[in-house]
Amino acid sequence: MIDFSAYGVQTPVVNAVKCPSCGKLFYPAPMICSGCGERRDPSGIIFKDWETVSLSGECTLLAWTRVYALPEGYEMQYLLFGIVEFPNGLRASGRLNVDQPVTGMKVNAEVEVMENSKGKEFDGFVFGS
Amino acid sequence: MRKVSIVGIGHTVFGNLSEFDLVDVMGFASGNALDDAGIRDNRKIVEQVFVANMGGGILNHQTGIASSLVSRMDMEPAMAELIENGPASGASAVKMGYMAIASGLVDVVMVTGGELMRTVTGWEGTDFVASLLHSEAEYNYGLTLPAYGGMFTRMYMERYGLTERDLGLVAVKDHQNGEKNPFAHVRVPCTIDAIHDNENAHVINNYIAEPLRMYGMCPVSDGAASLILCANDSPKMKYFTKQKPILISGVGSATDTHCVHNRKDPLILDAVRLAAEKAYKMAELKPDDISFAELHDAFVILELAISEEVGFFERGKAGDAIRNGVTAINGAKPINTSGGLKSKGHPVGATGVSQVFELVKQLREQGEEGRQVKDPKHGMAVNFGGFGNNVVAIICSKGEV
Ligand SMILES: [Zn+2]
Repeated sequence: MIDFSAYGVQTPVVNAVKCPSCGKLFYPAPMICSGCGERRDPSGIIFKDWETVSLSGECTLLAWTRVYALPEGYEMQYLLFGIVEFPNGLRASGRLNVDQPVTGMKVNAEVEVMENSKGKEFDGFVFGS
Repeated sequence: MRKVSIVGIGHTVFGNLSEFDLVDVMGFASGNALDDAGIRDNRKIVEQVFVANMGGGILNHQTGIASSLVSRMDMEPAMAELIENGPASGASAVKMGYMAIASGLVDVVMVTGGELMRTVTGWEGTDFVASLLHSEAEYNYGLTLPAYGGMFTRMYMERYGLTERDLGLVAVKDHQNGEKNPFAHVRVPCTIDAIHDNENAHVINNYIAEPLRMYGMCPVSDGAASLILCANDSPKMKYFTKQKPILISGVGSATDTHCVHNRKDPLILDAVRLAAEKAYKMAELKPDDISFAELHDAFVILELAISEEVGFFERGKAGDAIRNGVTAINGAKPINTSGGLKSKGHPVGATGVSQVFELVKQLREQGEEGRQVKDPKHGMAVNFGGFGNNVVAIICSKGEV
């Protein structure tokens, strides 16, 4: 397999999308704009694919939990999860890495390469302090 | 539209049935429903079978389950389809049964819901249900239904001042009912002292998804339930003399955003409210008319939140109801008389069918000693799919045919 990473440093990213007609932002990406009805075409062949806007940085913690029931093989005792809201109004779920989470606190959304429970890599949010 | 009644009900025990075959378990419940309806020998009058199941393909490596069930029950050439709507598959199948008859297409339908979840490990079962979440924005992270249950519980507690003790009281009430239900999975008594007040309570009632504890969550269960439906105006009604028919008076369902984070106020369960409103409108009933209800308490907080969303209590006030015994079996609005998902168990595809089974049992006044609602007239079931993204409400009523 050719290692394309040699051609440029891959920075993990989570993208929101922007409707090309009315400018409304979405995360995750829908197939139709709830603002104006514009369709999105992920292939970019029939309709334009939509402009992406990377999501990260300061946000507000809306909800959180500490989960103790984890897949076999996980070394840690628990995982923290949260839902945040960004200043542009978009919200996201993700992993949380804060010692003493408090609803309403400011956190910082960073994007890291992580693995899902099937071992598949993806770029995802870690909300830290 | 034609009126449709439930004329037969069947149930298996809920619990660990993993040594059995999925279709056999469904077949056993179906046989119980045929017998209860008095049509074992006339079973070929069933023209349509709807099967509710969520995980046969994933957990049991079995597909085409509806065709398999029909054949195993010697009910060919009945039409047969599988309904998969996540944890609301059961009530969705009841809704499809209602629709098939109300439309005039058929007169007699069998609805059977079943699930075998304990054939895999606890985590694999949780991971399987989590596959209904958004694959990229939710599931990938290791988020599960209990994780969303935990976040929802915390938001509710912080906004309305609900306590962990209040959550414990829901479990205690559910177990009081479930203990008397011969089909319930967890029939052990549960006291507020043992799960909350006692200094060692948190050893047995540990956190699963803070602030949700073990006694705030339903068990992982196997089991099946089945119903026979018939049109009130059908000549085939003559076969059903064994039991008093119970009318399906209201049916409604609604959807909400796939991602929980995209709801303007994640504590507002739009799909629950809209499903209930449709069912009330069809039945020409109001929340106060409902005598008792089966509400989808996969997490005990959901019993409280759903009871508010369907209009039984004001927003934020369901905690008062549980503290004051309003939802107990002898209270003004008994909830989860079967023990609910918490005590009876939650074989996902079976749950909605089992909820309606309980409505019929109560309306026939066939509840066991100590868990029969006094003089019930109308019962409501709310079957909650996803984390509230697809919800089905069904109202059944005692009434003349
Ligand atoms: Zn638009």
